[in-house]
Amino acid sequence: MTKIISLVILQAVFSFTFLPISYSASNLIETTCKQTPFFNLCVSTLRSDPGSSTADVAGLAHIAAGSVNSKATATLNQITGLLKIAKDPNLRKALQRCVDSYNTIVKADIPVAIEAILKGNPNFAVDSATDAANEAQVCEKSFANPPKSPISDSNKAMRDLTAVLESIASLLL
Amino acid sequence: MLIVLIRIGDALRILNQDFGPLFYKGWYHFFYQYNPNAAVWGDIVWGHAVSKDLIHWLHLPLAMVADQWYDANGVWTGSATILHDGKIVMLYTGSTVEAVQVQNLAYPADHSDPFLTHWVKYPRNPVLVPPPGIDDKDFRDPTTAWINKTGIALIYDTKDFINYEKLDGLLHTVPGTGMWECVDFFPVSKTEENGLDTSINGPGVKHVVKVSLDDDRHDYHAIGTYHEKNGTWIPDQPEIDAGIGVRYDYGIYYAAKTFYDQNKNRRVLWGWIGESDSEAADMKKGWASVQGIPRTILFDKKTGTNLLQWPVEEIESLRLKGNEFNQVTVQAGSVVPLDVGSAAQLDIIAEFEIDKEALEKATGSNVTFSCETSGGAAERGAFGPFGLLVLADKCLSEQTSVYFYITKGSDGNLRTFFCNDQSRSSAASDVDKQIYGSFVPVQKGENLSFRILVDHSIIESFAQGGRTVITSRVYPTKAIYGAAKVFVFNNATAASVTASLKIWQMNSAFTQPYPTDKKL
Repeated sequence: MTKIISLVILQAVFSFTFLPISYSASNLIETTCKQTPFFNLCVSTLRSDPGSSTADVAGLAHIAAGSVNSKATATLNQITGLLKIAKDPNLRKALQRCVDSYNTIVKADIPVAIEAILKGNPNFAVDSATDAANEAQVCEKSFANPPKSPISDSNKAMRDLTAVLESIASLLL
Repeated sequence: MLIVLIRIGDALRILNQDFGPLFYKGWYHFFYQYNPNAAVWGDIVWGHAVSKDLIHWLHLPLAMVADQWYDANGVWTGSATILHDGKIVMLYTGSTVEAVQVQNLAYPADHSDPFLTHWVKYPRNPVLVPPPGIDDKDFRDPTTAWINKTGIALIYDTKDFINYEKLDGLLHTVPGTGMWECVDFFPVSKTEENGLDTSINGPGVKHVVKVSLDDDRHDYHAIGTYHEKNGTWIPDQPEIDAGIGVRYDYGIYYAAKTFYDQNKNRRVLWGWIGESDSEAADMKKGWASVQGIPRTILFDKKTGTNLLQWPVEEIESLRLKGNEFNQVTVQAGSVVPLDVGSAAQLDIIAEFEIDKEALEKATGSNVTFSCETSGGAAERGAFGPFGLLVLADKCLSEQTSVYFYITKGSDGNLRTFFCNDQSRSSAASDVDKQIYGSFVPVQKGENLSFRILVDHSIIESFAQGGRTVITSRVYPTKAIYGAAKVFVFNNATAASVTASLKIWQMNSAFTQPYPTDKKL
């Protein structure tokens, strides 16, 4: 009986010891995300990276950039997959334009954003985030409807994520 | 005693463009931030070009690359100072292996080489590291030094560019303007039509503080008085202080920097014109960003609050065939084509007179106007818009308008605006289509006039002798090369306009690399 009681007490102490640390890290994540247009997306994106609990704002910007990169890479794969089986010439043309857009995001926008964040020249990170949003927009608009865009969800997710990155990078200006 | 102005902490950030411009042994030198690996920012090294006339340039080999621990992450911008004995020193910012920003000294390897091809880095670099309390990534962009005869209260004081004394106090601050980049500080004459050496001061002299604001990517300047004894600068009009008043350029023009051209006694302004297309397009075309045509800078004696910018006179050497159009009447609501042949490379000087009677008879109103929030050239007002359509195709499906818009207040006062409308500049959907512009002061007795340099995708427009300037980038898909045309238009409702124009086709400058087989 005594043993059980001791265990419970230990557990409680354990929790209380750790609460203040995660609270202050959450605080920076939340304060930062409050300054972006998509609070929930921002918080879940940053928290998915364990490094976010000890990151400063530049570190959070770096995590956000990595997230944009992952999403862009996944979308690029999605597009090339669709291109393999697409037969309609208008659809193919639009998908090809999207390949250009997403290649730009992965090969130019994100590497520049990360270098800019790491070297303390954040306006290039802001520019890159804006460009990435534009690229996703251009991709979405290249579907003339018909044919309807098969990747609307991905393009929207991209625009939202880049908006988060742009806002966090702006905090470094 | 030489003073180097380095703003620190919240003050200074740099962007990557022109720096260290100077005239030496018969050649103008231009250094620039260059990424040899991609058409985006990164891997920055020093590009170098020379010219005898600021128009025809020769590319030289890279002046400096990131080959030392103290600039491994970037050989960033700096400033050149020509010392009394004619020697040159360059102070530049390096980003170290650990991405700390430091100031380094470099000098020409061979001062007898007019091309200043090779540069030597001082073996005991860095000469300045971030002092305690200053963030590693907030310390950069030194300006050209000047000589102060008495004591100073600026940031750094040096006798030899190697040893520096950090001093208390800042030259000037303006609350609420955010980060300042690429600060420039130079004298202008209140009376003479020439430029002044950076070290000059005196009763007929005003000093300009220019800042590039990180927050909005625009360059602002303010005119004031520099008090050498206590090292402070006081703006003439605090309500239009640096960062909250007048801009060098109301379009896409940033991180500009002047130098004193001792060859022709003028102060010359260089500016970075970025792209307003997508990076995807930049990657495809393999390059991005251009430099503006160099501009002379003079104090505007008529207003006392502005600077006048004007393309250097050497640009006129590119003029080919000229066409003159005298007193062309443009009725309200009409567009008149101007036959000049190929219209993708032009130098245009235009003067406009609006129906004075109609202007006087009209009752004013309190409606406020701003170019940026207006409907552009298509939005008709009583006395505007009227001006030119450039890089337009023959059916006007693509057009970029540069125009005046006059408003009359209920007090009878006229206000003139100068705008550049890109909203119909291109059928492409991935380019910027904003409307740029500003109020332009027009003195009593002055005619309305502007000059435009058109160069395929770059438009530089100068109103009232350069009192208000707008630079824009447009990317037409049809109005290109031989298909580009120019029109004069008047979309006002209440008055006709008379236009007189001189339009020259412009030759290309054919910039090329300096032949490597020639001994440098």
